Amino acid sequence: MRAAASRAVLAVAALLAIAPVVFLVSLSLRGVDDVQNGGWLPERVRWDNWPAAFQTVPLAQMLANSWVVALGATLLTALVAVPTAYVTARAGRSGKRLHSALLAAYCAPPIVAVLPLYFLLKSVGLTNSVVGLALVNGLANVPVAVWLLDGFVRRVPAEVEEAAWVDGLSVAAGLRRVVLPLIVPGLVAASLVCFFLAYNEFLFAVSFAQSPSAQTLTVGLSLFQGDRTVQFGQQAAASLVAIVPVYVLAVLAQRALVGGLSQGAVR
Amino acid sequence: MTATLERPATGAPAARARTRAQRRAGHRVPRWLAIPAVVSLLITGLYPAAAGLALALTDSSLARPLRGFVGFDNFVAAAESVAFGGSLVRSALFAVFATALAVVAGTAGALALQARGGRFGLLGAVLLLPMVTPPVSVGVAWKLLLAPVGGGLTGLWDALGVSGFNPLGSGVGAFATLVVTHAWQWAPLVLLLVYAALLGVPAELWEAAALDGAGWWRTLRSVVAPVVAPTVLAAAVLQLVIAFKVFDLVAVVTAGGPGVSTIVASFEVFRTAFRGSFEVGTAAAETIVLGLLVGVVLGAAGLVTRHTRGDA
Amino acid sequence: MPSPVLSRRLLLRSALGAGAVVGLGPLLAACGDGGSTTALPAGETADLTGATIRAMVNQPHVLAFTELLAPAFEREFGGRLETTAVPYDQLTSQQILDVQGGAGQFDVFDYFYFGLGALVDAGALVDLTDQLAAVDTSDFLRSVYDAYTLLDGRRYGVPFDGDVHVLYYNREVFETYGLEPPRTWDEYDAAARTITERSGGSVYGAVVEGQQVPMILGCSFINRLAGYGGSLLGPDGAPALTSDAAHAALQHLVDVAPYALPTPLQIGFDQANSAFLSGQAAMLDTWTDLGLKAQDPASSQIVDKWGVVPLPVGGSNTEHRTALNAGFGLGVSTAAADPAQAAAFVLWATDRTRNLLLASTAGAGIDPARRSTLESPEYAAATAPATEVIRQALTGSPLVWPKDTDAPRLLQDLVDQLALAISGAQTPQQSLANAQASWERALT
Repeated sequence: MRAAASRAVLAVAALLAIAPVVFLVSLSLRGVDDVQNGGWLPERVRWDNWPAAFQTVPLAQMLANSWVVALGATLLTALVAVPTAYVTARAGRSGKRLHSALLAAYCAPPIVAVLPLYFLLKSVGLTNSVVGLALVNGLANVPVAVWLLDGFVRRVPAEVEEAAWVDGLSVAAGLRRVVLPLIVPGLVAASLVCFFLAYNEFLFAVSFAQSPSAQTLTVGLSLFQGDRTVQFGQQAAASLVAIVPVYVLAVLAQRALVGGLSQGAVR
Repeated sequence: MTATLERPATGAPAARARTRAQRRAGHRVPRWLAIPAVVSLLITGLYPAAAGLALALTDSSLARPLRGFVGFDNFVAAAESVAFGGSLVRSALFAVFATALAVVAGTAGALALQARGGRFGLLGAVLLLPMVTPPVSVGVAWKLLLAPVGGGLTGLWDALGVSGFNPLGSGVGAFATLVVTHAWQWAPLVLLLVYAALLGVPAELWEAAALDGAGWWRTLRSVVAPVVAPTVLAAAVLQLVIAFKVFDLVAVVTAGGPGVSTIVASFEVFRTAFRGSFEVGTAAAETIVLGLLVGVVLGAAGLVTRHTRGDA
Repeated sequence: MPSPVLSRRLLLRSALGAGAVVGLGPLLAACGDGGSTTALPAGETADLTGATIRAMVNQPHVLAFTELLAPAFEREFGGRLETTAVPYDQLTSQQILDVQGGAGQFDVFDYFYFGLGALVDAGALVDLTDQLAAVDTSDFLRSVYDAYTLLDGRRYGVPFDGDVHVLYYNREVFETYGLEPPRTWDEYDAAARTITERSGGSVYGAVVEGQQVPMILGCSFINRLAGYGGSLLGPDGAPALTSDAAHAALQHLVDVAPYALPTPLQIGFDQANSAFLSGQAAMLDTWTDLGLKAQDPASSQIVDKWGVVPLPVGGSNTEHRTALNAGFGLGVSTAAADPAQAAAFVLWATDRTRNLLLASTAGAGIDPARRSTLESPEYAAATAPATEVIRQALTGSPLVWPKDTDAPRLLQDLVDQLALAISGAQTPQQSLANAQASWERALT
């Protein structure tokens, strides 16, 4: 009985999860006059939205930019978050203070922060570049990664570390050689979450990138909104171009995602 | 395979604890490990905060920032604006409701997934999809689904006997729609975390409860809740912060409308700084006030968490 | 006991120190920049051969630039035109940011005329007064020439896109219900109500765009205000938001809301255009390029079933009058690589040949800014049946939006109040009184 009830709940949940994306697929096959036809299926199926979407905005370039920015940001986040999580987990009171400071920095919406960050990027010549975007996104997501990794580091038994110290390793070397391999699942999970965050990020992308050489997909999607007669079909097609590769990544990584998170309950 | 449930230092006999502490004393966490974090905090935390403060206390527009000290004039202007005061309340309500909904939905989903047994699998991956979708696409899809004339769901409304149902047309309805959409997008993260925590409940505990003849609800309360509660609370805190910062979704689905009913604080800051006017000084003042509000709410949440953990 | 890794004092000290240095440095440096707009002296027109021009343009104009201007520029000068499109709601702020932030990535700006004050305040546009004094500008339409370029006695750009509103209606629906296209706003309200009620909800009489941004709700209000002969600012520059015309305009919005496509406050361009083109709504006041889309079978279900008339009139005003809703000029960025060359490009892109080409090409979305274009038979052929309506509109005295530095905020304040009235949270009288008070505070 319980199994049946839970299957029902899961079926509804899966339906809700997927409904908007299915609708986007349907939209991508419709013309402008067909968009609001009140149904889930197009009245006249058209395929030209797909090539047109690539013409209206430089979609292929933006897709590449999105992936470069997201991957670069994730790498930077991981590099900063691992030692930081070690500090927050193992360094007692000051570690806790660092943890609180990180959370506090994550609290305020970064809207006005765009201006000083813009000036900062400009002073190092990184405006309108994927490197600049990856930098900002990478640093902005550090609090999330630390928040996720903190629990994993705590889970590493002290004995394992102490054994390494007895063998003559310094604390830092112990982190690299002993602790890190043990938290790899958690690191993978945290990295995936940060990847999704950086990939879907909009405010920084639209503020720091002015030309297609650095603009990402979220900016591209907003360009469709910026037209007076919005080409919903093309926008839906562009959305799917943005979504599908990441979905594939999520599906392939779901085992790592769950496995990673299950090996250390987040406190 | 069960992970160890006891924390390293608890419950250890005094002698072992002393030795352990002595061993630790010789191996402090080196300071330089914190440097990346401090640099990151400087760039993404302190620098924008200092700049924000400077902008808030001066006559600053997008065209010409830092034109001259004006004391608290910007704060007064923020208080006098039509939308800002209400937007703080709306942000708080949005954060609380969206978090509650996401946590409940995510936890329920995790429980259902775990009860069904088997691996996370493809079904689990499908349930993760909302988290992975760009908010702009989510917004457009929902806006077109809910359009009162010609929207994708008009057939459903007709079938349910509520034709002409237009949630986005009324203030309350639009607000509720945004809450639901945001929760829809973030429930998968909660689901993921709770599911992972559930995996950490030893199988023996489930079996013992079943042998004792405990019903499902009873099992939940006495066996599952203690193990999973910390995770749920931590997930809730993260959701609160994310919900306070919501911006893309509001901009795409309702643009703050109808009227001011969905202008949340972050959207109002955006309007003030980059859209309606270019008054960056006022926007900075609004950000400071919003930051204080979020701090207060998080502090309260932290108290609740510590209180609960203290009981457990 | 192990000493803490990060003593609180260390944290505080390093934070304050670094924050002060890192934080205010770049900002203070930026303060020094954004200098005054230097006037470009009239000299010989710069040589455009082989030039590269980088333009930031409004997203709806992107075709005009990439498919019409760019090939023509290459053919005539062997030059390259690099176009970057920006959504219309980000255009002015992106232009300001580009110059203020020091990135300086563009030579030419396609700018909204009511952002002129903000752009000049930011030092983003080059003063072209002397350049323009040296060329013949008599062909520019009087209704737009000063409005789009003049600020405090100096000129900062050249008119590019006229942009007026006209009223489209679905001829088939009107004939079904035996109605004539409305001449006054009272007739408009009546027609909307009749169609909505008698069709039982299958067609709505009108679609009213009420999303709470100046470009959307502002246009809807101003179209009615213009019809009543009113204006936002009086002849002395004082706000006129509590005039009879303004009250009437807002009252019309409130009255028609229940019979318009549900619900005005949530409708923007996207839904409005597709609702009209799919025949779900029978009237829409919008820009002149809708006609071309309405005739395109790929995006319209009402081909040959629509008509266009001038915006309705009201009150004591009987002469049709429109408003310059949006409207663009081309200007030279102060950060341009070669301002003289950019100025030459701007003059070329707005000359007779180009304006005619852009205005007569379907899909370019450009309205005439020159008399020669407006009166040319080619243009008439391309825009029939709307040609007469557009001519009437652009040669009259359309309502001009305020364009001083404060204008964006004032318009947003006004639109916020209008939305409160339409949503019923406040009476129209109260809304306009509030808006008037806020404008008076700012403009005195």
